[in-house]
Amino acid sequence: MAMHTEARFRRRRKFSLLDTLRFIILAVGAVAMLFPLLWMVTIALKGNNDVFKIPPEWFPRELHWSNFVTGTKEINFWQTFGNSMFIAVMCTIGQIVSSVLVGYGLARLNFPGRKLWFSLFVGSLMLPGFVGMIPLFNLYTELGWYDTWLPIIVPAFFGNATFSFLYVQYLRTISVSFDEAAKIDGASDLYILTKVLVPMTMPVIMTMVIFSFQGAWNQYLEPLIYIIDPSKWTLALAMASYKGTYATAWNLFMAADLIYILPMLLIFFFGQKYFMQGLGSLNSASLK
Amino acid sequence: MRVNNRKLRGWTKGYLFILPSIIGFSVFVAYPLLSSMYYALTEWSGYDTPQFVGFDNFKYMFTEDPAFWPSVRATLYFVLLSVPSSLILGLLLAMLLNKSLPGIKWFRTIYYLPTVVPSIASLTLWLFIYQPQYGLANSLLRLLGLPEGTWLTSEKTALPSLVLIGLWQVGSGVIIFLSGLQSVPQELYEAAEVDGAVRWRTALHITVPMITPILFLQLILGIIGAFQAFNQVQVLTGGGPNFSTSLLNFKIYNDAFGGRMFGYAIAEVWVLFVIIMIFTALTYRYSNRFVYYESDNAR
Repeated sequence: MAMHTEARFRRRRKFSLLDTLRFIILAVGAVAMLFPLLWMVTIALKGNNDVFKIPPEWFPRELHWSNFVTGTKEINFWQTFGNSMFIAVMCTIGQIVSSVLVGYGLARLNFPGRKLWFSLFVGSLMLPGFVGMIPLFNLYTELGWYDTWLPIIVPAFFGNATFSFLYVQYLRTISVSFDEAAKIDGASDLYILTKVLVPMTMPVIMTMVIFSFQGAWNQYLEPLIYIIDPSKWTLALAMASYKGTYATAWNLFMAADLIYILPMLLIFFFGQKYFMQGLGSLNSASLK
Repeated sequence: MRVNNRKLRGWTKGYLFILPSIIGFSVFVAYPLLSSMYYALTEWSGYDTPQFVGFDNFKYMFTEDPAFWPSVRATLYFVLLSVPSSLILGLLLAMLLNKSLPGIKWFRTIYYLPTVVPSIASLTLWLFIYQPQYGLANSLLRLLGLPEGTWLTSEKTALPSLVLIGLWQVGSGVIIFLSGLQSVPQELYEAAEVDGAVRWRTALHITVPMITPILFLQLILGIIGAFQAFNQVQVLTGGGPNFSTSLLNFKIYNDAFGGRMFGYAIAEVWVLFVIIMIFTALTYRYSNRFVYYESDNAR
C-alpha cells in the first residue's frame, strides 16, 4: 500500500513539475497566436472614432455590428466575393478531376515511359513557380486572355503535381484485386476509377479539395498580374488594394477582411481532420 | 498481331489518362523554362519583339543596376533569418504539443489557426498591427512600459518584422513535425526509459534523429519557399525603406510589370533560380549525412 501511493505520488509530482511548465509555455504561445485575430475582431466591432483612441480601448464599449454591412458596401464586396468563390470552385474542380485521372494512370496502368513522366511531374515540384511567370504572361496575352480569369482557371485543369503524387501514393495502398474483380465483370477503366476507387479514396480526395480551395482562395500573384478591371477582381486583390482607401476606417476594413477569412475558418472547423491528416500524409508521401 | 494491337490500346489508354499532366508539364513548365533561356539574352519590353543582346542583361545586373546587390543581400538575409527560425520554433512547439496535457487538442487547433487565414488577409492585418501610432504592436509595448518599436519604418527592423509575420504562421510546420513525432515507435522511448536515459538525452538522441528526414525535407522546401517570398513585400513595404526589404522576387515583378523590362527580369529570374539551386545542393550535401533513414538500419 505504501509503495503504491509512493509510486502514484512520484508520477503526479513528475506531472506537476515538467508538465506545468509545458502547459504554461504553450498557454503563453497560444495567447500570442490568438491575440492578433482577437484584436482584429475588436477593431471590426468598434465605432468610427473609437479606433483611434490613446490609450486604446481593448474592448469596444459598444458593439457596432453594422460595420459588417457598411464595410462591405463601400468596395463592391459581394461581387468580388462571388468572383473569388467562382474562381476557387473552378480551380478546385479542375485540379481534383485532372489529378485523380493522372494519378490513376500513373498508379494503375502500364505503359512505356510511365516512370519517366512520373519523375518529371514530381521533379517539377522543385521548380520555383516564378520561373514560368513572364513567358506564360506573354503566352496568355497573345491568346487574348489578358484581363480575364482564364490564366488562373485553365491551368488548374492540367493536373497538379502535388495532388497527382498524393493520389498515386494513396492508390498504392489499395489492393489491385478490387480493380481486377471489376475488370472480370467487364468494367472499363473509367468505371473502375469513378465507381470503385474514388469512393474508397474519399479521405485523400477531401484533403485535396480543402488544400486546393485554400490555394485558390489565397492566390495573389496571378490575379495581380492578369486582372485589371476592378469588377473582375478577387478578394485578395481587393483587400490589398483597398487598404489605402480604408486608411481612416480600420473598423470597416477589418470587418470586410473577417468576411474574407470566414469561408476558410468554416472549412477549417468542419474539416479539421482533413487538414491535419493531409499535412501528415503530404509529408510522409513525399519522403518515400 | 492481335496481341500487339491490344498492347497498343493499353498504352494509348495510359497516355490518355496522364494527358492532362503531359500538356500541363509541356506548356506550364517545359515551354517557359526553355524559352526563358533565350529571353534572358534579349531586350524586350513585352510589347515589341525581343532583340538579342547577348549577356548585356547580366552585365548591367552585376555592374550597374543600383538595386540588384541590395536585393540579393535582402533576400539572403531574409532566407537565413526566416528558415532556421521557423524550423526551430516549429519543432519546439511540436515537441511541446506531442504529449497529453489538459486541453492539448485546443492548443493544436489554436497554433494551426493563423495558417488558415488567407495570406492577404493576414498581411493587411499585420499592416495595421505595425502601424506606429494606433497599431497593436506599439500599443502592447506601451502597455508594458517598453519603448516603441520602429517595425516597418526603419531599415534595421523592416525585414525582421516580415519574418515575424511568418513565425505567426508556423502552424503547418508544427503539424507536420507533430505527425512525424507521433510516428516515432513508442518502443524506442520505453527502451530508453529502461536504460534510465534522462529526458533531454532522449529528445536529443532518439526524437531528433528519428525525424531528421522530415526536418531535412522541411528545410529544403523552406529554402525554396523563402527565396520566392513576394506577397509580404508587395503588400507591406514595397521594397523599402532603402531597399532593405526589396526581395529578389519582388524586384523581378517590379522590373517586368512596372518597368516593362521583360528580358532583364527573366535574366534576374535565372540568377535567382541558380542561387536557389546552389542553396538546395549545399543543403542536400551537408545535411544528408545527418539524416537518418530507417532502411539504413542494416548497415
